[in-house]
Amino acid sequence: MMPFIPPRLRKPAGIALAGAAFAAAWLVRGGPLWWVSISAVILAAARAVSWYRMGGEDTDEGALAASRADERQHLVSLQSRALACNLTAVAAFIGLTVAIAVKAAWWWPFLVILAITGFGYLLGLSSYGSGEPDADDDADAGQPERSPVQR
Amino acid sequence: MRNRVREQRTQRGLSQAELAAALGVSRQTVISIESGRYLPSLPLAFTIARFFDLTVDKMFDPDDEEAGT
Repeated sequence: MMPFIPPRLRKPAGIALAGAAFAAAWLVRGGPLWWVSISAVILAAARAVSWYRMGGEDTDEGALAASRADERQHLVSLQSRALACNLTAVAAFIGLTVAIAVKAAWWWPFLVILAITGFGYLLGLSSYGSGEPDADDDADAGQPERSPVQR
Repeated sequence: MRNRVREQRTQRGLSQAELAAALGVSRQTVISIESGRYLPSLPLAFTIARFFDLTVDKMFDPDDEEAGT
């Protein structure tokens, strides 16, 4: 992804782009809160600079920030993202349960988050899983399957 | 799983950073492998074994539950 950008700049560039998109959304929205867009740009720029600086450190976090992670660091990143997704799903389930209990109108965003995490999990199983129930013994599977951490 | 990475590295007078550079991984990964906290992938295990002119089964001993050296 983004091979034309030097590895150390990729994540900071992504953060800057996300900040710019968020700021643009506030500008398009208009109204008295237009100044939020300026704050968003400043915060995104500061975050991008801090990620760039972190990318120069000789740590796992630095390697991930600079997009130069090796297989173990990719695995650490994957496990961390899986943990974040699990926490998100649990929090969404709690939120949905509470929203239903108090008859709140804001129950549906929790359901959407739960549905997305569930769909993402199933998508992951179908993409990375090796379940081929109909395959014969010694069937030629074509390309050898690789660990997702090395994709 | 016991491995001989630290033993082989020190025999050759290499630092962890030098070995990491030779293997194309981070210094932290070499530390993790040496301490037994991380089991390398098969390709990396072969790379390590070839670097030290050993076979994978000489480099990594699955029968020893003791981590590291």
